[in-house]
Amino acid sequence: MKTITADNMAASQKQPHKADEGSTRQLRIKLVLGLGLLAIFIILPFLGLSGFTLSLATTILITGIATTSLHMIIRMGHVSLAHGVFMGLGAYAAVLSVVKFGLPFPIAMIFAFLAPAALALVIGPMLLRLSGKYFVLVTFLLGEIIRLVFVNWQSFTGGSNGIFGIPLPYEGLADPVAFYYMTLIAALLCIGFVARMLQSDIGRIIDTIREDSRLAECAGIPVLRMKVTVFVIACGLAGIAGGISGFFIRYIDPTSFSIVQSLNFVVMNIVGGMFQLAGPIVGTLFFVILPEFLRGYVELQRVIFGVCLIVVMAFLPTGIVGLAAYIRHQLSRWFK
Amino acid sequence: MFSPAVLGQVLINGISLSAIYILVSLGFTLLFGIMRVVNFAHGAMAMLGGYALYYIYGEANLPYLIAMPLAAASVAALALVLERLVYRWFYQKMFQSMIGLLGLDMALVYSAVIIWGPHERSIPSPIDTVYRLGPLFLSGSKLVVIGLAAVTLAAFYLFTHFTKYGLAMRAAAQDVETAEVQGINTDRIYMLAFFIAIFMAAMAGGFFAQNYILSPFMGERQLMMAFIAVILGGMGSIPGVALGGLILGMAESILGTYFGSTTSVFVTFGAVIVLLIVRPWGLLGIPENR
Amino acid sequence: MSDFLTVDGLSRHFGGVKAVNDLSFTVKEGEILGVIGPNGAGKTTSINLVSGVAKPDQGKVVFAGGAVTGKAPHLLARMGLVRTFQATTVFPERSVHENVLRGTYLSRYPGFFAAFFNTPRARKLAAESEALAHEVLEWLGLETVAWDPAGSLPYGYQKTLNMAIALAAKPRLIMLDEPVAGLSAEETDHVRDTILKVRDRGITVAVVDHNMRFISGLCDRVVVINQGSRLAEGTPKEVLSNPAVVEAYLGKSHAAAYGQ
Repeated sequence: MKTITADNMAASQKQPHKADEGSTRQLRIKLVLGLGLLAIFIILPFLGLSGFTLSLATTILITGIATTSLHMIIRMGHVSLAHGVFMGLGAYAAVLSVVKFGLPFPIAMIFAFLAPAALALVIGPMLLRLSGKYFVLVTFLLGEIIRLVFVNWQSFTGGSNGIFGIPLPYEGLADPVAFYYMTLIAALLCIGFVARMLQSDIGRIIDTIREDSRLAECAGIPVLRMKVTVFVIACGLAGIAGGISGFFIRYIDPTSFSIVQSLNFVVMNIVGGMFQLAGPIVGTLFFVILPEFLRGYVELQRVIFGVCLIVVMAFLPTGIVGLAAYIRHQLSRWFK
Repeated sequence: MFSPAVLGQVLINGISLSAIYILVSLGFTLLFGIMRVVNFAHGAMAMLGGYALYYIYGEANLPYLIAMPLAAASVAALALVLERLVYRWFYQKMFQSMIGLLGLDMALVYSAVIIWGPHERSIPSPIDTVYRLGPLFLSGSKLVVIGLAAVTLAAFYLFTHFTKYGLAMRAAAQDVETAEVQGINTDRIYMLAFFIAIFMAAMAGGFFAQNYILSPFMGERQLMMAFIAVILGGMGSIPGVALGGLILGMAESILGTYFGSTTSVFVTFGAVIVLLIVRPWGLLGIPENR
Repeated sequence: MSDFLTVDGLSRHFGGVKAVNDLSFTVKEGEILGVIGPNGAGKTTSINLVSGVAKPDQGKVVFAGGAVTGKAPHLLARMGLVRTFQATTVFPERSVHENVLRGTYLSRYPGFFAAFFNTPRARKLAAESEALAHEVLEWLGLETVAWDPAGSLPYGYQKTLNMAIALAAKPRLIMLDEPVAGLSAEETDHVRDTILKVRDRGITVAVVDHNMRFISGLCDRVVVINQGSRLAEGTPKEVLSNPAVVEAYLGKSHAAAYGQ
């Protein structure tokens, strides 16, 4: 049983004649765009923007870590509906390390990575055996179970009331600009890590596994082991996003990491574009900023999210990034 | 605690819950079997069924036996419009359907919040009487659910076993390829299956809303139960779904009464995850690739 | 020639249906063995059981002196037992070159950290696998289409590419599942020549097919499977003159006609 493959997804899109041609040029374009985006994020605090804009930018960075880590799982052909919950696991691990055990912040962030990664390591070998649709269903149920644990383990997690008044890790981080730069560095490290992985031979193996896992296995690739490795790293990175967000919002509760959050990450990945790292980045920018224009209309936002998903799945399997590439291709033909 | 009165109550609750779950998941598996769509919007359809019943029975005060099928039919009719607008793009595309219909679910649920508000409502019960049978107390409203669900399921059974279209539908659900070869995957079969599936889901939603609670978010639970029933029974297997729904409803009623609803959810979900891992094709299903 | 692969008493049932039933045969080092049988005889299931894609209920498989029964395909590939699939399985979106590179995983992948940091060793392995891919492409005559997307190739080329991916894993024994199904006579000849070239490099070949003419023109020895068990074994000539084989293939009436 095949899960998602690039070929059946992108069947509607015409490939250029020589499949690999221009990949270095494309890489250069992506690098330039990425560096440009990074430059904007670096100078952002100097633009004299409101505190609100800065906090929005921080949210974008945190969300970016979560969506790019989910991207690795989706690239392997599995859509996880538990990623928000893994993020929550990281948030609880980090916050509890500080609040209950008085551990220093850096150690707390290590736990933010380790807790979801450990769970992923235990359940990964079982989950990743399942084909696409079953994986979606199990992660859906798993998310619900973990959420129930958050709600019911009252003495530890504060139940459905969550944990209030989370202290700042350092006095200096009370300044939103300082917190912003800390988040920027974390995002750079995490997203850079994912980008490097996908750019290396590991990325080639991930794509090979998605496109035909049976063939990959017969070429000697230890499919399950690779999948588990990537899954563990991805869930750990989501945990880091969760840890930062806990100290950023200074309040965590089970609903902030529910299925709705997981769904948001999936939406951002898919609408942005599933098969390129640029996809989740574009998706994150799009879906964190766009709703700000619809403030006060939360329900309408979600209706629009939903319609976006339908339209993208029906007509644009490669998402906004794929659409952009298509338009660029058409334009370059036009002006030649 | 284990008195006959309580046991009887547990049994009745279990059967009526099972009936609701079977109705929801039958439609879910039918859509999956015939069109290969994983209908993540199935719960939203059940929710719409609840609101339809609210207006047609609760507000307009039509007689219950007319209101209930009318409510379900009106939702199914609306769903046919969605079939043309949304669903047909996803036929035979399992993965795309899953995500696209997740989008439809979001759009429908939050449209419902916009239209009706997020607060919970209730639908008056058609019969308030509690019947006494020896030591058992039988709630009239649950008996109505069981009765109507039984009639619907019987009709479904007769339709799929003794009519030309029903047989074609069932054949398509069990084995798409064979069905395609025989040329029965026509638009008409699709529309028919769609109507029936949504009719049953909306009906289940009505029952659920009337016995428990009506809110825009009530569908999530229906959807999850449909998933679980279908996984338990085996994706695409009609008898499997009936078995899955029965196990699920009874388990929820028994575990929920004696151990609390959280335990019930933990045990049910946990059991399903274990089953999925050791036997992903379900209790009565057939493995996909040999 | 010694026994390279020994299959002994292999069985697999699917819900009461005996797809493979007590099947035994051997592949000798350096030969081309044909495994042949009518449709539904259990050929593909047998190759799945041997290559680890499916697990046998009973029986054992010994490869190069070690028991490998039920081992995962990637472990078998590491030992040198590689297979192809019946339906052309290539990565259609990718270039032919990339397809073959993906097959070089075993000689290429240096481990997670080395790959991540692109260490000198990783670069050296990558260069070597690049050379290997180039060699395989040239060897099978695919270098002219190396940069075309695999999906755009004619069917015959795709079948060859299919083999090229498997060869990139440096197998000692390659098992081909219906390599000429759906090919024209000309393309079939091309595949036959390719298989002979592969054998000339010292790679043992097992070919599963139902095309009697193709198999008999290619193989040193033939095993005939019918209803999941071995029906006959021997040189193509011996097997072809075996009445039981003819009957299984063509039915009783033809067998009678053939006998006259």
